[in-house]
Amino acid sequence: MTAQSRISPTPPPAAPRSASGALTISSLSKSFTIDGKPLPVLDGIDLTLRPGEFVSIVGASGCGKSTLLRLIVGLDTDYSGEIRLDGQRIATTSLDRGIVFQDHRLFPWMTLEENVGLALLNTDIPKDRRAQIVADHIALVNLSGFEKAYPHQLSGGMAQRAAIARALVTEPKLLLLDEPLGALDALTRVHVQKELQRIWMAQRSTMLMVTHDVEEALYLGDRVIVMSPNPGRIRRIVEVDLPHPRDRSSPVLHRLRDEILTELTGAPDPANLVRFPGTEER
Amino acid sequence: MSMLLKRPPARIAIGLVVPVLILFWWQAQSQAGGARALAFVPLGSVATAFAELAGSGQLLDDALATLSRAVTGLLLGGIAGVTLGVVMATSRLVDRLVGPLYHAIRQVPLLGWLPLIGLWLGNGDGAKLLIVSLAAFYPTVLNSYEGITHVEKRYLDVGRIYGFTSVQRFRLILLPAALPLILTGVTQALAFAWIATIGTEILLGSGSGLGAAMGLAQAQQRMDVILVAILVTALLGFTLNDLFARLRGHLLRWQGASA
Repeated sequence: MTAQSRISPTPPPAAPRSASGALTISSLSKSFTIDGKPLPVLDGIDLTLRPGEFVSIVGASGCGKSTLLRLIVGLDTDYSGEIRLDGQRIATTSLDRGIVFQDHRLFPWMTLEENVGLALLNTDIPKDRRAQIVADHIALVNLSGFEKAYPHQLSGGMAQRAAIARALVTEPKLLLLDEPLGALDALTRVHVQKELQRIWMAQRSTMLMVTHDVEEALYLGDRVIVMSPNPGRIRRIVEVDLPHPRDRSSPVLHRLRDEILTELTGAPDPANLVRFPGTEER
Repeated sequence: MSMLLKRPPARIAIGLVVPVLILFWWQAQSQAGGARALAFVPLGSVATAFAELAGSGQLLDDALATLSRAVTGLLLGGIAGVTLGVVMATSRLVDRLVGPLYHAIRQVPLLGWLPLIGLWLGNGDGAKLLIVSLAAFYPTVLNSYEGITHVEKRYLDVGRIYGFTSVQRFRLILLPAALPLILTGVTQALAFAWIATIGTEILLGSGSGLGAAMGLAQAQQRMDVILVAILVTALLGFTLNDLFARLRGHLLRWQGASA
């Protein structure tokens, strides 16, 4: 590799992996048309993700978080503003961008290894290397031994880890996570969060995760974006200046959690407080 | 009790209880004398008729004729039906073009076509095969169409994310996702094709076949022969259905125990 770059007079066109995966979103707006009337769901989103960064998005239902991910992954291209990955405008889906949905979306008619392998079908990775890459990624999510299992034979947490393996197997520059752990029970959730942190530290691709869970957002994210609904706007960006892997019980995380929760639920407005008889102000 | 019933020998044994009771009742009726002896042939003479028909090779000929007619019709009608259903579901133009015609034609019971097909093709093998194929064709079109049109969008999104070509989309998503309904259609087609085979053999009454044997025996007032043909028809149909259920279970093994 080094020998070749010395011979070649021009630098290789692709930037090295560590320096790619920069996402730039500028003045992004999106509205749906309901009964002939436009309904804005995202309004004036500006956001830049550094290569290799883990960014979490939290916000109430209806703040357009999932819509934002659908736009970035390229499933919906009807929007105004710009989304660029490493300077390239996003026009459609691409193997550069992977996504994990809340439902694992493994094909029930394929085994685990077939499900992970289908992501490689349209890559230029030679066919004889694919099986090894699939096996490596199944090992990465700790599912070795379940290669021949069908999705119905996996637990919820296992299926979600399999979906993460499928999303990672193409080595996307950017991995989008749309409430990936939302459907898991509390215990499995903590376990897969740890797993996700370990995988991110091993892969170091840029990751953008949408979640309802503020603690999860803080535990994993280098930054947490707080969004407000109707239409979805960025309300605040919180830097989480703690090294990975993190300790869940860190007082910094707890303080930030309280701050964000107050932000999300809003400062109590005295006019909205329920007054009980006998406690009225006189 | 329910544990016991899960074991194959126990399951087979319990399935035989009611048929054996019916046989006893039948035998009792046949010995009751008078007019009943005509309607209820003694089991002994049914067995004799079976031995006679089996020995002459007549029974095997008829059974094979019926079996090959039903299977050929199922294949022809089934393949045509799945193809049309899939094409209608994937092409709006074809759907608009032939959909209304298909839905109008399938309202006509198969028996309704018999006079017309008889005029066109006579009462030979061609006419019978056409009717059996039609019987298999209708349910496969309908179920394949439903299967393909109801494939969940979330799976198609996965295909888009990984840059599937339209061939990959069809082979890896649409077809397997629709397979449960397609096979439901084929299961119905199998039942309809079997009924249509026996029915046309009786009604068109030419050549060999279990239905033709029933028709002939009726003309000759051979109650024992009719019963032999009925029993063989029932057993063959049951076996065909069972074999197909196993094939279906294997093809849909990814659905797990809930299916």
